[in-house]
Amino acid sequence: MDRRKFLKDMGLSGLVAGLGPGLLAQAPKPAAGPELAFIVGDSPAKITKEALNVLGGMNKFVAKGDVVMIKPNIGWDRTPEMAACTNPEVVKALVEMCLGAGAKKVVVMDNTTNQAQRCYMRSGIQAAAKEAGADVPYVNERRIKKMAIKGEWLKEWDVIQDFVEADKLINVPIAKHHSLCRVTIGMKNWLGAIGDPRNQLHQKLDEAEVDLSAFFKPTLTVLDAYRILVRNGPQGGRLSDTKLLKTVVAGTDYVAVESVGASFFDIPPEELLFLKLAGQRGLGEIHWEKLRVEKRTV
Amino acid sequence: MKKERSRKYRALQFVRVAVQIFFFALFLYLLFRTHFTGQDYIGNVEIFFHFDPLLAVAAAIASRALYAAFVLAAVTLVATFVLGRVVCGWVCPLGALHQFFSWLFKKTKLLRPKKTVTGGLAWKYLVLVFVLVGTVFTLNLVGLVDPLSFLYRTIVTAVLPAFGQGFMMLTGFTYSLGLTGPGDALTQFYETLTVNATFRQGFLIGLIFLAFVLLNIYRERFWCRYVCPLGAFLGLASRWNVFKLKVNEHKCIKCNLCTLHCETQANPWPDEKWKSSECVYCETCAAICPTAAITFPAKSKPEKLPAVDLSRRKILAASFLAFFSVPFFRISQAAKRAHEKLIRPPGALPEKAFLEKCIKCGECMKACPTNALQPAVTEAGPEGLWTPVLVPKIGYCEYYCSLCSQVCPTGAIKELTVPEKLVVRIGTAWIDKNRCIPYFLGRPCIVCEEHCPTSPKAIKFVMVETKLPDGTVATQKAPVIDLDLCIGCGICENKCPVMDQPAIYVTSVGEQRSEKNQLLLPI
Repeated sequence: MDRRKFLKDMGLSGLVAGLGPGLLAQAPKPAAGPELAFIVGDSPAKITKEALNVLGGMNKFVAKGDVVMIKPNIGWDRTPEMAACTNPEVVKALVEMCLGAGAKKVVVMDNTTNQAQRCYMRSGIQAAAKEAGADVPYVNERRIKKMAIKGEWLKEWDVIQDFVEADKLINVPIAKHHSLCRVTIGMKNWLGAIGDPRNQLHQKLDEAEVDLSAFFKPTLTVLDAYRILVRNGPQGGRLSDTKLLKTVVAGTDYVAVESVGASFFDIPPEELLFLKLAGQRGLGEIHWEKLRVEKRTV
Repeated sequence: MKKERSRKYRALQFVRVAVQIFFFALFLYLLFRTHFTGQDYIGNVEIFFHFDPLLAVAAAIASRALYAAFVLAAVTLVATFVLGRVVCGWVCPLGALHQFFSWLFKKTKLLRPKKTVTGGLAWKYLVLVFVLVGTVFTLNLVGLVDPLSFLYRTIVTAVLPAFGQGFMMLTGFTYSLGLTGPGDALTQFYETLTVNATFRQGFLIGLIFLAFVLLNIYRERFWCRYVCPLGAFLGLASRWNVFKLKVNEHKCIKCNLCTLHCETQANPWPDEKWKSSECVYCETCAAICPTAAITFPAKSKPEKLPAVDLSRRKILAASFLAFFSVPFFRISQAAKRAHEKLIRPPGALPEKAFLEKCIKCGECMKACPTNALQPAVTEAGPEGLWTPVLVPKIGYCEYYCSLCSQVCPTGAIKELTVPEKLVVRIGTAWIDKNRCIPYFLGRPCIVCEEHCPTSPKAIKFVMVETKLPDGTVATQKAPVIDLDLCIGCGICENKCPVMDQPAIYVTSVGEQRSEKNQLLLPI
């Protein structure tokens, strides 16, 4: 049994290793289409959908029969207006689009900080995503396995298998203030895809974020900046801690999306260690203005 | 003589078992409902306790106050006055459990009823006297022996954790068979139950319960016969009820089967020795009588029947014992100064009032979403054994949750709305600078600050210079506590990455409910 399982795992990881570079090689050659969508509007669902329209539609990222994993931030027991978790309508819109593009299954999951049930329910994400047809399971301890992260600092860590087994991975963070790395957006969001004691990563949080981002390599990053958290992060707690921007930013270059997020806090990307490291490693473009950006208001 | 068992009473026996199963299921249903279900308020899941007149009386005497919800206990009392101890025989979930095990032990021949069993019945009355005399001196020990508290506490702190382990083994087995689908489904189902699976003392509490289950091998329904103070209380109330046992002398063949199989030693035959106060109306005697000689006719004029021999001497002895025991239960550090680990749930009354009311049932421990509330061991003294304390290393007080205060059956934890709960201070956080990563290692951390739920946060930063072993100096953001803002929820201690002994920890000082256990003077 063990031997068979070992062989199976070997096969899988071989497959992943084989496919990884392959997919990278096929990465879109500079096409005419926009690389970053920057959409402003009153409806979180509409701006999310418009962002994907601008990027060429969800069909470009999700193929028929794909299992899609959507990773919002559901870390805290806070209601949507507190801007501690991703806006549920943004998540819902993404689920709808993925299923519309022919995805076999869409899963929404996060390893929460507060009690999982409270976070899933009170963030509104569980109900919204289920309504759209997604599975919204709780993290299953048995599906956490130690994996080689192969980062520059983080060599191995426990990873929730659902995130690596999915065909496509969509990161849907929210932009928030954070006392240690100043802002927490998409790259830190990956701490919700790994196991404990993840708090120990705080000793080198910036390095960990970069290593984890390079490991997970999301297909697409959709930044929810409908309402961002400007103070008292990453939980907030008062409406006055939040700021209404009514914005969604989407793109395949997660470093660029992250830099746009930083700009909402008036922080130049070079000032953020994790962005600087990501840029140096060539994970993406920290000067997002260099990309083809399409701004729209709907 | 025609030999035929009574159909009517056999049917009634089946009905009784069905009713017992129903109430046991209801008890479990309410227990499983006692957790976060998506709503801030979860309704009267603790209602079973409010039908318990013993809890009502004990809490009322001990706290010198009436608690409105206990008005429901009158239903039980009236039912007992009119119908006898039907609550013991038909409703009580612990009684049902003991009866089930007695039946099981009989079937497996582990329990062989003796022809003549006498004595011992007075013990439960003495337990009752002991408990009630204690309450006169505001010592409320009723929760230790009340059947509902006993059962609920055991299920929550011992049975459910074991059930959780079993469930995990089951899912593990499912996965090992390669059945990932069913394994995932089982895990998700288990998650939705939000079972608190970590309880210190759970093993001990479970052992005590097991002992009483096994005592059914010695005597059928041992607990109900000899120990249960609620049974004694209802027994006192049942002596004048209308349904009295009657043995038809012409039919009776004096086989003694009825007395042999009487569940509670009520002695159906000869009927002039039948003890109304011990009969739980299980209908076994009437159902098994080979000649259908036993009936329970209603009498228009209730009569007093021979009861258990409660000599004045025994009652006095129990009273004296209770009286002299009271101070022993109060030998506690808490009398000198507050115990630093005695962190009570939000809404808990001041310690003295709390102990007068708390029945150690474990409702709050079941409701707590993070498993933070644990049965006290020594923190609250012998008097406060198994009362709830918050243990941040195990769980923390979830900021927007007030479930424990909602489910407390006696008001020992005052019911709070969520907005009311947000500002209740249950303790204060402290930093151990010798262990705190920025202070001691000169490395970044701030995990405590990140998790602090108040806005503005009660954990703030100072820049700290740390001399490292190689002689260099590191400068880091290090946490400091703003005592005005800290509510003592304990999430900082719970999430601290220093695993064994957290570098930030909560103690009870500053708890709002105490006048003396304070740090900041309101001057």
